[in-house]
Amino acid sequence: MGLYALFILVPVVMSAWKSLTNENPLQDHARFIGAANYTEMLHDSALAASLTFTLVLAAVVTLAANALGIAFAMLLNRTSLSFRMMRTLAFLPQVLSGVIVGFVWRYVLAQDGVLNNILGSLGIISHPVTWLGSPHLAMFSIALVATWVLTGFTTVVHLAALQSIPVELYQAAMVDGAGRWQRFRAITFPMVAPGTTISVTISLITMLKLYDIIAVLTSGGPADSTQSTALYIIKLAFTDDRFGYASAVAMLLLAVSAVISLIVTGLLRRREVDL
Amino acid sequence: MIASTSQRPTTTGRAAKPPAPAPRTRRRVWTSRSYLVAAGLLTLAFVSPIYLTIVNAFKTQDQIVKNPAAPPAPPTLHNLTDALSRPDRIIQIGLTNSAVTVIASVLLIIPLGAAFSFWLSRRPARFRRIVLACFSAGLMIPPAVLLLPTIRILTLLHLDHTYPGLILANVGGGYLSFAVFVYSGFLRSIPAEIVEAATVDGAGTLRIWWTIIMPLLRPATATVTIFLSLWIWNDFMNPQFILGPLHGQTITTGLYLSVGQYSTNYAQLFGVMFLAAVIPVAGYLALQKQFIAGLTSGATK
Repeated sequence: MGLYALFILVPVVMSAWKSLTNENPLQDHARFIGAANYTEMLHDSALAASLTFTLVLAAVVTLAANALGIAFAMLLNRTSLSFRMMRTLAFLPQVLSGVIVGFVWRYVLAQDGVLNNILGSLGIISHPVTWLGSPHLAMFSIALVATWVLTGFTTVVHLAALQSIPVELYQAAMVDGAGRWQRFRAITFPMVAPGTTISVTISLITMLKLYDIIAVLTSGGPADSTQSTALYIIKLAFTDDRFGYASAVAMLLLAVSAVISLIVTGLLRRREVDL
Repeated sequence: MIASTSQRPTTTGRAAKPPAPAPRTRRRVWTSRSYLVAAGLLTLAFVSPIYLTIVNAFKTQDQIVKNPAAPPAPPTLHNLTDALSRPDRIIQIGLTNSAVTVIASVLLIIPLGAAFSFWLSRRPARFRRIVLACFSAGLMIPPAVLLLPTIRILTLLHLDHTYPGLILANVGGGYLSFAVFVYSGFLRSIPAEIVEAATVDGAGTLRIWWTIIMPLLRPATATVTIFLSLWIWNDFMNPQFILGPLHGQTITTGLYLSVGQYSTNYAQLFGVMFLAAVIPVAGYLALQKQFIAGLTSGATK
């Protein structure tokens, strides 16, 4: 308990206090500057851009990874050995560190990389695409890689939820003449709700934390287009040496994460209760 | 309708259902074999980046450039031996440092987390809920938020840029929250009578915890150990900033540094990456039952 307090609660309080100072390791002592850091945040276009990127990325990737995860889980929902082996493979992206994932995909997405080769030989593109070199494509690429990693997780969670659905429900629905889509809407989707709650919540938390994959793939570039708020905090603290302002931005990210987590778990739990 | 005949009839209601058993009136009938092939191909496409890493770790630069997807024929071990014979020994040092960090962190978190959860399970429900809510914050707070103040605290303790400092930050950070959550969830299924009976027999709290509770908690300990080992092993941000670039590397920061140098020498790159990935992947394949069970226990409750 004491340790926990030391490394979670005390840092939060320290951050809150530092965020009111102009602390900088290159200067002798920090001065209390009130809410100046917070008013600066209002005019900080880099912060606005990073926060927008973080939130859009989190939303897009969470939706994509969970939709793909449900679909993939339905595809793999058999119990024979080969399907269990596929499940084992599907989880693999989760086992690798973000650094390795980043480097593998940097190779796949490089100018002379695998993806351009495949698309080129299929005749889909005539020039190599700079997947990581232009702002919009780099954002897309980060979303793609993050979705890939998270889909490993969402698939396995949804698969477990699917396998806990009693098969009698489907039999009854088929006797009643329910079609494929109706059975999905009325049985599968609501019955996997507890799995979806966990899967969506953890996806969102992961995306708000995301650091290593972006650091390796683009380090926030080009032109800061893929600079998530976590990366921005680290840049402020360790490159710009602006501890005070970095702490203020950290408090903002903390507040945003807390609000999003509470809202989303609240909404999803309600969906479960409605059953 | 073949999709359902391929399914062994089972007596339990928990049997997997065919994902979308087509009604008998459907014209398009998939044989179970082509369904299997389609699912298999999709899975392989999904893991193809990992396939590339494995095959290219055993190919020469020429073979990789010519056809990255081809199997290694003939295979070469040069990339691996090159990676292991680097003068800076970054792989060996990284693997050792990561192993030490993981083992020390997990060995500290397990007893702390289990003892604290046991203590908490015997407190009033309301108190328990408040404390657990605090701990859930530990799981949700982005580590980037805590990084700067954590380094400050370690500096005050003269532990900044040291392994004990990194381990202490691991033990006190979000990882402990995870352990407390898993243990607390598991403790709820242990009847209070067991503890009461032992108390009547004159056993002290510490003794009850060690001789009765810990053995009962073994499945939870397995889950906590597996996931914390994986996460701490794969962690990048904490070692990068708490240790700093001049104070040794874990496998992730070492990989980050070394791969940066030869971004066009793919043979070297894949050799290093293969060695960095092989331990967690082998561990996962060996323990996958426990992995999946730990991961999904929450999803089906």
